[in-house]
Amino acid sequence: MSSESNITVLYFAAASTATGLTEQSIALPQNPFPLSSLASVIISQHPNKGLEKILGTSQWSVDAEMVDDPEKVLLKGGQEVAVICPVSGG
Amino acid sequence: MDTAWPPASVEAIEEISEGISVLTYKPLNVDEILRSVGDDRAGATAAFIGTTRNSFKGKIVTRLDYQAYSKLAIKTMSGIIRSAHEKYSDSAHKTAESPVMSIIHCAVHHRLGTVPVGEPSIVIAVSSPHRKEAFHACEYILEEVKLKAQIWKREFYEGEREEDAEWKANVS
Repeated sequence: MSSESNITVLYFAAASTATGLTEQSIALPQNPFPLSSLASVIISQHPNKGLEKILGTSQWSVDAEMVDDPEKVLLKGGQEVAVICPVSGG
Repeated sequence: MDTAWPPASVEAIEEISEGISVLTYKPLNVDEILRSVGDDRAGATAAFIGTTRNSFKGKIVTRLDYQAYSKLAIKTMSGIIRSAHEKYSDSAHKTAESPVMSIIHCAVHHRLGTVPVGEPSIVIAVSSPHRKEAFHACEYILEEVKLKAQIWKREFYEGEREEDAEWKANVS
């Protein structure tokens, strides 16, 4: 599998605790691949870890820009995608 | 033994003309941060210091851990400083002859890593010719950081297992 169709997924906070990871290289099933389908790919790689709930309340960022409408975003290989759980700074 | 901080949760600094945003693992020095926004045009400096408190809903907090997606959080913090400048640039003190810059300088410093009870986790300082804009901008920056900055806090309680410590959410 060409690494050019892999993305880097970053996990923080609850997503990191649930997966046990801070980052993961994921092969896109197709390139490009809709962001709205990424959650199921992640969950299938980490079953029974409570990720449905966590991803259900999280937003996404792609290449360090927040995504307003995941339905409109297509992922390409080489991108950095982060799971942004509800924040708690300050 | 808790997990190491995520590789993306690094120290970061971003300086723009309106102010400075900092993410650091070092203890926050309130005096230095206040001095950093100092200016001869300032009549007022407003500050907010957020400290780790020792309890939450009756449970005793033993420690707080903070992590950030630093590359994005620092951009978000700079954006908030810019918005604060724009939002409070319209001042009652403005005249046709002398446009007044209502906010002179902002500094937002957030600590990462383990923050012991009683120590500052966030320090915001805003300087302005006038007190009203300084207070308002300081509060605005705090509320926006809490809402938007890609920073997460985990609270550890006495008598509970570390693995069970919850990641907090400002807005659920």
